[in-house]
Amino acid sequence: MASIYNFKKIAPVPEANDFLDIVLNKTQRKTPTVVHPGYKITRIRQFYMRKVKFTQETFDEKLRQILEEFPVLDSVHPFYADLMNVLYDKDHYKLALGQINTARHLIDSIGKDYVRLLKFGDSLYRCKQLKRAALGRMATVMKRQKDSLSYLEQVRQHLARLPTIDPNTRTLIVCGYPNVGKSSFMNKVTRADVDVQPYAFTTKSLFVGHMDYKYLRWQVIDTPGILDHPLEERNTIEMQSITALAHLRAAVLFFIDLSEQCGYTIQDQMSLFHSIKPLFANKPTLLVTSKTDVCTLNDVKPEERQMVEAVRSESIELSQLSSYHDTGIIETRNLACDKLLQQRVDMKLKGHKVSGVLNKINVAQPGKRDTVERPAFIPESVLKRRQQSGEDQMHRMLERDLEVEGGGAGVFNVDLKKRYVLASDEWKYDVIPEIIDGKNVADFIDPDIEEKLAELEREEEKLAAEGLYDSSEETTDEEDVRIRDIARRIRERKQIIAQESRIKDVNRSKLTTKDKAMISSTGDFSEHLQRLGLDPTLADETASRIGRKRGRSESRDPAVKLARSSSVAARAVSVIRDRSVMGLKDARQKLATEKSKNMSMRRMNRMARAGEADRAIMNKMPKHLFSGKRSIGSNDRR
Amino acid sequence: MPQNEYIEEAIRRHGRRMDHAERKRKKEARKVHKNSEFAQKVHGLKAKLYNKKRHSEKIQMKKTLKVHDEKNAKQKTDDAVPEGAVPAYLLDREGQQRAKVLSNMLKQKRKEKAGKWNVPLPKVRGIAEDEMFKVVKTGKSKSKSWKRMVTKPTFVGDGFTRKPPKYERFIRPMALRYKKANVTHPELKATFQLPIIGVKKNPQSPMYTQLGVLTKGTIIEVNVAELGLVTTGGKVLWGKYAQITNNPENDGCINALLLV
Repeated sequence: MASIYNFKKIAPVPEANDFLDIVLNKTQRKTPTVVHPGYKITRIRQFYMRKVKFTQETFDEKLRQILEEFPVLDSVHPFYADLMNVLYDKDHYKLALGQINTARHLIDSIGKDYVRLLKFGDSLYRCKQLKRAALGRMATVMKRQKDSLSYLEQVRQHLARLPTIDPNTRTLIVCGYPNVGKSSFMNKVTRADVDVQPYAFTTKSLFVGHMDYKYLRWQVIDTPGILDHPLEERNTIEMQSITALAHLRAAVLFFIDLSEQCGYTIQDQMSLFHSIKPLFANKPTLLVTSKTDVCTLNDVKPEERQMVEAVRSESIELSQLSSYHDTGIIETRNLACDKLLQQRVDMKLKGHKVSGVLNKINVAQPGKRDTVERPAFIPESVLKRRQQSGEDQMHRMLERDLEVEGGGAGVFNVDLKKRYVLASDEWKYDVIPEIIDGKNVADFIDPDIEEKLAELEREEEKLAAEGLYDSSEETTDEEDVRIRDIARRIRERKQIIAQESRIKDVNRSKLTTKDKAMISSTGDFSEHLQRLGLDPTLADETASRIGRKRGRSESRDPAVKLARSSSVAARAVSVIRDRSVMGLKDARQKLATEKSKNMSMRRMNRMARAGEADRAIMNKMPKHLFSGKRSIGSNDRR
Repeated sequence: MPQNEYIEEAIRRHGRRMDHAERKRKKEARKVHKNSEFAQKVHGLKAKLYNKKRHSEKIQMKKTLKVHDEKNAKQKTDDAVPEGAVPAYLLDREGQQRAKVLSNMLKQKRKEKAGKWNVPLPKVRGIAEDEMFKVVKTGKSKSKSWKRMVTKPTFVGDGFTRKPPKYERFIRPMALRYKKANVTHPELKATFQLPIIGVKKNPQSPMYTQLGVLTKGTIIEVNVAELGLVTTGGKVLWGKYAQITNNPENDGCINALLLV
C-alpha cells in the first residue's frame, strides 16, 4: 500500500502582497472593464457587483484551497501529527490555519455586505466608491494575514521535504547516541546515502531508506542521535527520533558504541537505553554493538560487559557489527527483520481479520459416519492399464516434454503427421505428390468424379437433343426498332448533358434557372422545338416581333445617316476609346492582364460574397414597425 | 529519493558549478539594465504600480544615503546646553511650564463657551430630495407615487416597528441601516467601534434628522461606556456626540469624530 500522505502536492502559499496582486489581477482580467455613466443604472450596478462578488469568490477559493490542502493534525496518522507538532508547533499551526479561515469568513461577509449596498447605488460614482471600499477592506483583511501566510509557506516547504514514511509497513528504526554509527549502518543496508561525519548530530532529521528482504519491501529509518535527559529538555532534533520510536510499529535497533569513540561512556549509553525502554514495548528490539573493528564485547571491562549482556534477560537480543569491515551487518539486519516479521504474523493471527483469510483456504473434510471404508473410485480399465504399463502412467508424455527433450523452443519441430488417421500407419510419413503422370492429384480426390462427369455429359446431350442450343432466327419487328432508336437517342442526349455539365466550371457562380431562361436565345428555342418535332416558324416570328431591336444608327437607312453626318460636319468627332486597352502595348499584353484579373477575381467569385451592390435586408424586423400593442387603436402610426 | 535539506546537501557534496560566482556577478551587473528596460517598456496599470514601488524604493535609498552621510560627516558634539535646562538647585521649580498649561486651559474654556456647535465639519454639501429619496410607485397600476425610499444610510432605533405599508410614507431599507460607527477620539488619537444611540441632528433638514439619515456632517450620539470616560464630577459618561466625517453611502461604513 502506497503512503496515503503526500505532502508534496500542497500548492505554494503566496505572500500577503503577492496574494493580493494575484487576486486583484485576476479580477481585472476576468471581469469587464468598460463602463460609462451613460449606461442604465442597473447595468452599472451589475458591473460593480460582479467585480466585488468575483473578488470575494477568488479570495474564498484561494483560501479554501489552502485550508483543504494542509493536513489536519487530528486526521493524519499520530506519527505525522506528532512529528508536525515537534517541527512546527501544533498550536502555531492550528492558529495560522484558524486565522486563514477567519479571514475567509470576513472576506465573504464583506463581499455580501457590499453587494447589498451596491443594490442601492444610484450613480456610477457611488457604485465605484463602494466597490473600492469593498476591495480595500478585503485587502486589509488579507494584509493582516501576512504572518500566517509566510509561516504556512515555510511549513509547506519543510513538509514537502520530509521523507515519505509509511507508518504501516515493515520498518526498522535505527537509534542511539549521536555518532555511534547509525547512519553508516543505514548506508550499508540501503541506498539512502545519508551523510556520515565524525561529529555528533550530523543527522539532524529523520531519513528513510528502502531495502528488500525475503521478497518484501522494508523501510529503514535513520534517526538523529538522542542524549540521555528528561523529555522536557529534549530539543527538536531529538524529539524527531522520539516521535518515530513512539508511533511506528517497527523493529528497533539500538546502537551502542563499545569503543566510546562517540564521546559517551558505555554506562551512559546503557542508561539511555533503559530510560527510553518504555518506547520499545511490544516492539522487537535489538541491542547492536557497532564498531567491532575497534572494540568488541570481549575487550571491555567485565562489569560493563555484564551490564550490556543483562538486557538478554528482557528478551532483547544482542548483535555485533562493523560498518568498517562489513561484518555482521547482514546478520543484524536479517535478525531484526525476522523478529519483526514473526511479530507481525503473530499479530495478524491474533486479530479477527485472519479468520476471513483462513476461511478462504479451508479444505472441508467430511467426518466419518461409520467404519466402512469409502475410497475414491477408480475404474477397472484404468487400474488394468496402470498395471500393464507399469510405473509412470499418471504422467503422460506431453508435446511440451517432447519439446524439452528435442532441444527446447525454436529447435524442436512439432510432428504434425504423428496423429494422422490413415488405413495403414505406414502411410503417415509418405510424401504426397501434387502431380502424377501429368495429372493433378487434387482432381482425383473425389472418388465419384468419373461418375459425376458422365452424368453431366448425359444431361448435356439430352438438352442438345431437345434443341436448347439451336440459334433461333432474328425476331425483329417494328416495335423493337423504335424502342432501340429511342434508347439510342436517350443515351446520346444523356452523354451531351454530361459533357455540358463537365464543360461548366463548377467554381464559377451559377446563374439561376430564371436567368438562364432569359439568356437563351430564340435560336435555341426553335432548335428545341424542332427537336421535339414541332414547326418552329410561328414561334420565331412571334419572338422576332416582340423582341425587336431598338432603333439604332447602324440599322437606319444609310442615306439618312449620310445626310445627318453631312449636316453636322463642322462638329468635332469624338473618338470613342476602349478604355480596357488603354496603356497596353499589344493584344498579348491585354490577354495577360485579363487573365490575371480573372485570376484575382476567381476567389471572390467562388465565395460568392455579398457585395455592396447586392440587395440586402439589414433588419428583418425593424423595431418601429413591430412594437406596440395591436389590440386597441390603429396601426397607421407604424 | 531526495529528503530533508537535499539541496544544501548536494551543494556541500558536489559544490556549485564552476562559473556560479561569475554568473551571479554578471546577473547582478545586468540587473540594472534589465530593470531599466522593463521600466521603459511597461505601461498601464503595471507601470503605475511599478513606478510607485520604485518611488518608495528611491526614497528609502536616499534616506539610507543620508544616514550614511551623517555617519561619515563630522558632527558637532552635543555639548551645547539643551533648551530649558536649569541648574540643580532650581530643579523642583516648574512654574513656567505650569503657567503654559493654565493658559491653555483658559483658552480651551473660552473656546467651549464661544460656540456650542463648534464642530469639525462646519459646512456640508446640500443634498436634494430627489437624491435622498427614490420614488416608489404604488397602486395596482403603479400610478401612484407618494411613497419614498431613503437611499442613504440610516439609523433606526431598536424599538422601531414599521407602519402598515398603506401608511408608510418613508421606507428605510434594511440593507442601509447602521448600528455602529467608527469613532475617533481626537485627543487619544484612537478609534473605537461604538454603538449609535441616536441621530442628534442632520444639518440638511430636520426631516432627515427625524428619519435618522446618516450623511456627512450629521451629529450622532454614540455610546462611550466602553471608553470609561468620566466627567469632571466623577460620573461615568455613556452618551457623547460625534460628527460623521465621511460619506457613508460611498464607503459602506460610518466614521465619526468624537466631540469633546
